[in-house]
Amino acid sequence: MHRFKRIAVAAFAVSALGIAGAVSAQDAPQGDAANGKRVFLADGCFTCHGRSGQGGAYNGPAPILAHTALPFDGFQGVVRNPPNDMPAYSEAVLSDKDVADIYAFVESLPGPRSPKDISILNN
Amino acid sequence: MSKRRHLPDSSRRNFLKGAGLVGAAAAVTPPVAANAIPAAPQEKLKAAVPGARQIAAETMAPSNDPVNQTTSGGDFMVDVLNSLGVEYMAINCASSYRGLHEAVINHGNNKPEIITCVHEDIAVHVAQGYAKIEGKPMAMACHGVVGLQHATMAMYNAWCDRVPVLVMGGNIMEADKRAPGAEWVHAGVDIGQIVREFTKWDDQPASLQHFAESAVRAYKIATTPPMGPVFLALDAELQENPIRDAEGLRIPKFAPVVPPQGDSGAIAAAAKMLVEAQNPLILCDRVARTPTGMANLVELAETLQCGVIDNAGRMNFPSRHPLNQSFRRGLIGQADVILAIEMNDLWGTVSHFSDRIVRRSRPATKPGAKIVTLGVRDLYLKSNYQDFGRWQDVDLDIAGDGETSLAPLTEAVKRLIDEGRKAAYDARGKKLAAAHLAMVEQSKTDATIGWDASPITTARMCAEVYNQIKDEDWSVVGTSIRLSWPHRLWDFKRPYQWNGGSGGAGIGYNLPASLGAALANKKHSRFTVAFGGDGDFMFNPGALWTAAHHKIPMLYIVHNNRAYHQEYMYLVAMAARHGRGVDKMDIGTTIKDPNIDYATVARGMGVYGEGPIVDPKDLGPALSRAIAVVKSGETAVVDVVADPR
Repeated sequence: MHRFKRIAVAAFAVSALGIAGAVSAQDAPQGDAANGKRVFLADGCFTCHGRSGQGGAYNGPAPILAHTALPFDGFQGVVRNPPNDMPAYSEAVLSDKDVADIYAFVESLPGPRSPKDISILNN
Repeated sequence: MSKRRHLPDSSRRNFLKGAGLVGAAAAVTPPVAANAIPAAPQEKLKAAVPGARQIAAETMAPSNDPVNQTTSGGDFMVDVLNSLGVEYMAINCASSYRGLHEAVINHGNNKPEIITCVHEDIAVHVAQGYAKIEGKPMAMACHGVVGLQHATMAMYNAWCDRVPVLVMGGNIMEADKRAPGAEWVHAGVDIGQIVREFTKWDDQPASLQHFAESAVRAYKIATTPPMGPVFLALDAELQENPIRDAEGLRIPKFAPVVPPQGDSGAIAAAAKMLVEAQNPLILCDRVARTPTGMANLVELAETLQCGVIDNAGRMNFPSRHPLNQSFRRGLIGQADVILAIEMNDLWGTVSHFSDRIVRRSRPATKPGAKIVTLGVRDLYLKSNYQDFGRWQDVDLDIAGDGETSLAPLTEAVKRLIDEGRKAAYDARGKKLAAAHLAMVEQSKTDATIGWDASPITTARMCAEVYNQIKDEDWSVVGTSIRLSWPHRLWDFKRPYQWNGGSGGAGIGYNLPASLGAALANKKHSRFTVAFGGDGDFMFNPGALWTAAHHKIPMLYIVHNNRAYHQEYMYLVAMAARHGRGVDKMDIGTTIKDPNIDYATVARGMGVYGEGPIVDPKDLGPALSRAIAVVKSGETAVVDVVADPR
């Protein structure tokens, strides 16, 4: 079974995301988070990464995107030319504006909380 | 409804009704098949009124034909099945094995107990799930040809999962004994051919003694590692007719095969490689066949203080054991010696593969890493279906049952470990334990993201379930695709707390196989819980009727993402690759408009239904109500509208 396989893929993807970025989050183009959410859901981003950006799985684990600290350039670089099995979204299906809007959306998503605050996670 | 006598105008009485019209012509017309087009009436011929003798000849059996019998071959078949300790026989009733069916009920006093199923796919999957919990096969009976054709997908799952199931299909071997119509289309010269590519063995016994020997042989073959389904075609006459030569019949003695242990020299060589390795790693998939398996694997890992990556084909290794590194696959690239035990897909586990325009693979192992395999999987392979996976180079390939070979391997390792190594091993173990703990904490942190979201996150869905069953003697026997949260968060430590997946990834497994596992758990008073996808659910929802009918307790969580979600993702990838229409990939991949109300479907099948649960705050109370139902001895379904993964 491959249920738990390729956790390393996720690590590689996150690593690639981090290395690729040279522009800080503050330098990202102003995105429309509301439109970003719409595109995130309509264009299938949520299918692997979850509606809350909590991550998920495709052929291997799909990285967490919620409250991303990744720089915009790195994010866009992965969208256009992703590592591993993530589909490459070209400008033909996802404009630069859409990418910026999605970035604004995932950046706006709340990240993880302390699990200590959720009693049933400590069973 | 009988599957045998459903063709129109097939009865002798209907034939006689036409006698008044066709008259003398009928007397010379050769018998025709019941479904043949009748010749046009010849009006010139006058009908002759049949006399009493003709009516008697047409309607009554000859006086010298016996009409009662005191024994039947089916009775003997039941005795054979009971001699093997077969507890249950899952069936969808059919005329071609009516002799056996009646004999089970009346001669066997419903032993093996009949589990009534509304589809043959359900029946085989029930048997598959049962075997993985109970550790022995149950029987399944179906109609020859058409019933067996229905059963094939589940038999393929059992084959790929290496699970024993004793499948029997009725047949009418002698052509002159087949009634017109259905008995012809439901008969075959060699019905085992339908399933031969994914069964270990099959036979069509020609006598009762032949049946007895073949049934015992089939049971033995099925339960000898590598295990798998077997098939027997049962001639209807053999089942139904009186036993001839009863004094000559004998039920063979069954002695299980002692599973083969790896060669002692090879075991010693493997032990030396593991002991001398800097970073040994154990990979496993279907190791634990019995409760001993997990304990033996734990002992080997603790002796070596090495990591274990469990592909979870069985309940191999405790989820919270410090050496469990199943979510740290990067260790594969660090290992210098890998011991792969009873692996289903070794190549897939030690390789990176890219599902892109050009499909490539590369090793995940580091250069020079040695691979030792231990198992029996490759001792029985077939050609057509490619479930054996891609070739993987290895350095030492030990043919031997993994579970059986663990103890001598551990002893060989212990003999080679000196005091000097123990300190290094302890240090290695502490690092792994710390990494395991960090992984668990990271999982908990990850699980908090979207905690209050709707649709409900899969992490919260699983956490809510565990919160309410953790103090029960629980057994998780099903999961939706790529739902890893239970193994990331729950404390799996008993041999029956997990039983692996479908094997063949044939959809429709989860609900009926979970039910079969629940049937096995019932007599041990365990609390059975299963997750399953909504797509899988709709392949075999009728399994819930069986749950209700036989009062099998089970908590079934429908992971309802309203899609065939893996396919949805694949289609998005295709559209992105082709640079078009990524926003239309819900066509043909989603299950919405209308949404299916699984709780209502469940209630329609006679079991308890909750949902759809959309708000995460409603999930805990819904689970509480459902769990109370399960504790009362029934199945409860909770429909959770959840995120995809």
